[in-house]
Amino acid sequence: MAKKAWRFLIQMVILIAIYQIGNVTAWFLHLPIPGNVIGIILLFVLLWLGVIKIEQIEWATGWLLKHLGFFFIPISVGLMTLGNMFVSNGLAFLAILLVSAFIGLLFAGKTTQIVIMKNDKEKVNYHDHAL
Amino acid sequence: MITLFSILITISAYYFSRYLGKKYSSPLTNPVFLSTIIIIFLLVISHISFNEYRPANTIMTFLLGPATVALAVPIYKNRELFAKYIGAASIGIIIGILTTVTSAILLAKVLQLPNIFILGLTVKSVTVPVATEIGKIIHGNTSLIAAYVIITGMIGAMFGSKVLNLFKIDHPFARGLAIGTIAHGIGTAEAVKEGEVQGAVAGAAMGIAAVLTSCIIPYIIKYIL
Repeated sequence: MAKKAWRFLIQMVILIAIYQIGNVTAWFLHLPIPGNVIGIILLFVLLWLGVIKIEQIEWATGWLLKHLGFFFIPISVGLMTLGNMFVSNGLAFLAILLVSAFIGLLFAGKTTQIVIMKNDKEKVNYHDHAL
Repeated sequence: MITLFSILITISAYYFSRYLGKKYSSPLTNPVFLSTIIIIFLLVISHISFNEYRPANTIMTFLLGPATVALAVPIYKNRELFAKYIGAASIGIIIGILTTVTSAILLAKVLQLPNIFILGLTVKSVTVPVATEIGKIIHGNTSLIAAYVIITGMIGAMFGSKVLNLFKIDHPFARGLAIGTIAHGIGTAEAVKEGEVQGAVAGAAMGIAAVLTSCIIPYIIKYIL
């Protein structure tokens, strides 16, 4: 039990360290990219190079991603400070967010699907030709 | 004392919403959405301001940084699927970000909203921790940005699959990509329910969209306003 807790803690410390390295890198190089994004890229590269094995961090990452929603809640509670603004501009905000989300979904989805179809078709044709 | 109370109601509201969401699956029982409403209600009736809630906020969001870094894992796990469709995925994510941000800004300008409101719209589709970080870089209002992002996530979770059905977007990869790109984590939670491929692609697309947006927006922000 204590050994398990210890392992979980170590995995967590690894993730916190990568996150902090990301922060320091962004600050040190004056990058306009947030430290947490550099952290994502760094962890991906470390996994890719095999420096970190997925099993070595999967317990902590699985737990964090399962409860990712939780960490947004205290931030969302900050909405309560914007009450007045929403009373005066709420409908405009909602209209903008609804319409732009639908447009984005349509274009992202349709473009991806068209390119995939085209790719798959070309591969099939090539295959037929080879036969 | 207030901090302890705040942490207690936040965790309770989260577990209650998760329980309810498992029992009655509906966009209205989304844990982030429902917990937020419950907590704001409890804080208002106990006369606690957000400033008094803030220390609890700082404690509870300590792990948000490492949790964001953890997004590298679904991206890594699905790297082969992405490698196969890399062209389609890159074009899809970039077109998705550009169309949703451009349409939002144009609409805001037509409705004559002040610049401070327009600024935040540029990151409305990016997962919260990254959006608030970009927000600091472009000097936006963090609470406002979080509001845009969370409401956008809710819209994607509630209507995303319906919009995709309407326009006959039925390829699982394309569906997951669209939802992850536009509606980040809250949308991804819905995509997971639709299917394994959709969920995995949505999670990875959310991470990639976050990286792309944070690389593009701070550089072009001065040309937008």
